[in-house]
Amino acid sequence: MSTLLKFSALIDRLNRRIGHSVRWLVLVAVLVSALNAAVRKAFNVSSNGFLEIQWYLFAAVFLLASGYTLLNQEHVKIDVIAGRFSKRTQIWIDIVGICVFLLPFVVVVIELSMPLVIKAYTSNEMSSNAGGLIRWPVFALLPLGFVFLGLQGLSELIKRLAFLKGLVPDPTQKVQGKTAEEELAEFLLQKEVVARDAALLSGSKTAGAKK
Amino acid sequence: MIAFLTANMAPVMFGSLIVFLLFGYSVAFSLAACGLFFGFIGIEFGMLPASLMQALPLRMFGIMQNDTLLAIPFFTFMGLILERSGMAEDLLDTIGQLFGPIRGGLAYAVILVGAMLAATTGVVAASVISMGLISLPIMLRYGYDRRLASGVIAASGTLAQIIPPSLVLIIMADQLGKSVGDMYKGAFVPGFVLTALYVGYILLVSFIRPTWVPALPAEARSIREDDGTPGLRSLGLLTVASVALAVLFAKSRPDTTPTDELIVVSMCVGVGAAFMLAGINKTLKIGLLSRMAERVTFVLIPPLALIFLVLGTIFLGIATPTEGGAMGAVGALAMALGRRRIDLKLMRQAMETTMKLSCFVLFILIGSTVFSLSFQGVDGPKWVEHLLTSLPGGQLGFLIVVNLLIFFLAFFLDFFELSFIVIPLIGPVADKLGIDLVWFGVLLAVNMQTSFMHPPFGFALFYLRSVAPTNDYTDKITNKPVAKVTTGQIYYGAIPFVLIQIIMVGLIIAFPGLVSRGGDSGPKVDVDKAFEQLQEKSKEDKDEAALLKPAEDAASAAPGTSAPADAGDNGKEDPMKGFVESLERDKDKKP
Repeated sequence: MSTLLKFSALIDRLNRRIGHSVRWLVLVAVLVSALNAAVRKAFNVSSNGFLEIQWYLFAAVFLLASGYTLLNQEHVKIDVIAGRFSKRTQIWIDIVGICVFLLPFVVVVIELSMPLVIKAYTSNEMSSNAGGLIRWPVFALLPLGFVFLGLQGLSELIKRLAFLKGLVPDPTQKVQGKTAEEELAEFLLQKEVVARDAALLSGSKTAGAKK
Repeated sequence: MIAFLTANMAPVMFGSLIVFLLFGYSVAFSLAACGLFFGFIGIEFGMLPASLMQALPLRMFGIMQNDTLLAIPFFTFMGLILERSGMAEDLLDTIGQLFGPIRGGLAYAVILVGAMLAATTGVVAASVISMGLISLPIMLRYGYDRRLASGVIAASGTLAQIIPPSLVLIIMADQLGKSVGDMYKGAFVPGFVLTALYVGYILLVSFIRPTWVPALPAEARSIREDDGTPGLRSLGLLTVASVALAVLFAKSRPDTTPTDELIVVSMCVGVGAAFMLAGINKTLKIGLLSRMAERVTFVLIPPLALIFLVLGTIFLGIATPTEGGAMGAVGALAMALGRRRIDLKLMRQAMETTMKLSCFVLFILIGSTVFSLSFQGVDGPKWVEHLLTSLPGGQLGFLIVVNLLIFFLAFFLDFFELSFIVIPLIGPVADKLGIDLVWFGVLLAVNMQTSFMHPPFGFALFYLRSVAPTNDYTDKITNKPVAKVTTGQIYYGAIPFVLIQIIMVGLIIAFPGLVSRGGDSGPKVDVDKAFEQLQEKSKEDKDEAALLKPAEDAASAAPGTSAPADAGDNGKEDPMKGFVESLERDKDKKP
């Protein structure tokens, strides 16, 4: 089991590193797209290559990050019923879900998409648009992303089995602790509410003094 | 057993989907698993062609190439940057001070700011959290009814769902095969009618239950002139002047200008003039305008500029929604940088949240694509169609049943799941019943708003709960004790606003004209006109009438966007035939 847990930790590290790198592509995609729009309007020129790079980037973002998203428990679940069960039952639901739902899906997609990727690679397929990009790198993102997803599935499976044996803490706790909403609330509380109350406090004091 | 299965594959598959989803594992993978499971059963029993699964990677490549969906990360990113930029807080503060001293004023301020935030971004959580932290304590301080205060905040935050640019409208457009621009245009009026209904409700309350919405004492205003006057006359004059300028400008335009363009451009002229005046006043220190007038002008500029940058350019046809989203994100970034509100940590956070949201949303779409591939194979759409077209009451019966269905499903599913699972099933049926799909999409988007407001899973209520005081506390300004806001009060407060949302659904059904259908009505009107002209002289020439038919077909088949392959074959008579055709089309796309 300890070897497996090491393997799981390795996968977690891999996907975390991927997630932390891939997130910058969001910014790149925003900038490229805004620039495309501006250039198209201002100079009335557009490049199919730059238009295509937009969706290449987006595809890279959501496919490569799928493992990282799974690591962070962000693939939403409907827990109307499951939420009422005990922790152990919920862990068992996850185990069945990973083995029966997730992993077969990953295998099927990789198996079906690989021939297409190989074909695009050997035939050097290009975009049908003039000045478009070469296709195989973006096609290859699909099986690649699913490899990361499948690996993370294995890691989550190992962590859950280890939890049932009492070897590790609850793996379904969100890894980073705080959600984006909690972060925002904290940020606002620190910076805004205090400052505003202070301003209002001094304001009402001076107003009172004037009376 | 097998005979029963093969005969009733579609209902069995649909039932299994519910079981798979309720099982409690991730929605995306449950959908995919259900699709794969029945796909393989179908192939095994010879109901489906063995090549069925070959189409799967092609459909996934289609999702990757979909330009419309790019708007999702762009608008999400924009919202995340904007929520830290301080814009919402400035707005709430200033508008709250402006309206505070009238009865119900704080509630009006929350609604107006909610609508304005909704028009700049599509993120409900950010609006609710900002308003819950800034406005709720003030409302509690001055004795607003807690249920009303929490209800109005949750409802105003939820406006982000219907006022463009909202994510749900992007997804709806994609799933119904319409253009996002048309969807935005259609949702514009209903969004503002809903805002007006909220304002109307507060007005009603201020007459029936004045103690629920007390006016703030005058000293709660900290923006005032040196002599203590609020400086409202100056603001009033400035408003009248800029509105007059805008109207004059609108009148001076040629009559042929489209209405939406006219509104957008004249608004820009009016606001621009007010801004110039305030700017000159400030730099030259003439003292022409009061502090309040100056403050209101400056605080309104960033949101209005962003609204123009995003919605204005989309409505004027300068930018596609995807481009508008990207430019809005850059605009928000520039604003946050200008105010020094953004650092590396925040950037990472915004990018990461955007990435994770895009990932889970796109994976639900991938999962539902796998499901629909098999579901189409087993004639599922035909089964759904029979089920829904056999309802009594034709169009109206269909609309009522579908809206009830969405309303109840919204208790359990959020709008991403609803749009990806339910819309592909009912969209084609609506189309076949002759319902305009843009109108239908807007109607369902209004209905899905309730999913944010339903206790106990409504997200808006959930976010408000996370920031509303959970313990009794002493107010810092008045030094008086303030009781906590209970969860029951938040739930109870949501009810009137859910009712208003339902009324809005009814209004859209009763007055379909509320949803403007700019993009699609064009060719249809032409056909009608042509038809009228033809009827007048039809006796002399019958050949022309024959010409009409292809024109009509062309008009009705006019596609909104290059939707993925499955949207294209929705309207086909025979699902199997449509399916085979789509397979062939996929093959053409094949590398």
